[in-house]
Amino acid sequence: MKNLFGLLLSLVLGAFIILALNNTAAFPAFGEVDLADRVSEQYFTDGNVAEVGSANIVTAIVVGYRGFDTLGEVTVLFISALGVAIIFGEKKQERLDLKFKPNFMLRVGSRVLFGMILITSIYIIFHGHLTPGGGFPGGAIIASAVLLLYLTDDRFRSNVKGFKILEGIAGSLFVVIGLLGLVLVTSFLQNFLPAGTVGDLLSAGIIPIIYVLIGLKVGSEISGIVDNFLTEEESA
Amino acid sequence: MTIASYVFLIIGGLFYLLGGLGVLRMPDTFNRIQAGTKATTLGAFSILIGVALANPVWSWISKIIIIIVFIIISNPIGSSAIAKATYNSKNIPDNLVQDALKERGEE
Repeated sequence: MKNLFGLLLSLVLGAFIILALNNTAAFPAFGEVDLADRVSEQYFTDGNVAEVGSANIVTAIVVGYRGFDTLGEVTVLFISALGVAIIFGEKKQERLDLKFKPNFMLRVGSRVLFGMILITSIYIIFHGHLTPGGGFPGGAIIASAVLLLYLTDDRFRSNVKGFKILEGIAGSLFVVIGLLGLVLVTSFLQNFLPAGTVGDLLSAGIIPIIYVLIGLKVGSEISGIVDNFLTEEESA
Repeated sequence: MTIASYVFLIIGGLFYLLGGLGVLRMPDTFNRIQAGTKATTLGAFSILIGVALANPVWSWISKIIIIIVFIIISNPIGSSAIAKATYNSKNIPDNLVQDALKERGEE
């Protein structure tokens, strides 16, 4: 009886999904989706494009109009990373032992995958103003690549000091760009570069620059947290 | 071209179905790994090739090649890691005929 009910339920759900996706008005034919029609149609017709120049409306709001909030968000992440570092202690020297020794294939293969994951994260960060994505998910993907290396190699240790320097530089450059907006135009974090053609890689003024900085900062912060969780103080 | 792409998509979906069925029906962990990873590797390939045939432009094909290479590397490595962890946690089925890892004397 339970199995029959489950079968019925999945059939109904499948029929529902097929019917919903067959509605051609909302779901265009396979392979003929134009991103500009779907994500930002209203936004294009509004005429705000000339102001920001970002094809992705979410990014235009997050970094363009509400850039100051984003600065606060980055600060929240920084403070949480700081809290983790304080709780776990500063002087970390040794890796925690993994229960099973990873074999050769796992170590080498994950190094190949590391590069591919980094390429994906760079793609996502650089296309933050064109497609869904941007600095925060891109940075999280960088950290996941670092976590992969930590889990598959029991002797791996990332360059934590380098991460901290990178994080500091990226964070301060974010504020410096905001101050440049204050100096060159009128207000903090205002766009002072030309908006460019909507849909180009180099468009939308300062949004790509800020997203690259956010990506570096988030990636190095979360990598630092990963390192904190997987190391311990040297047992003297 | 469209018909070929649909054929590949259906083959891929079928392999995914068989993989899911295998995970449910197989008796022990090693057989489940076999069903869960080998079938889905081929299923993912078929679906990606079907998508590439549906719209053969370079910007799609390049991304699909990257995804295929990623799956080629990650899926076997993941399944081997699961198998090794299963072996190390002594969760070995009783009807194991040959234990090559033990014969070689590795841990």
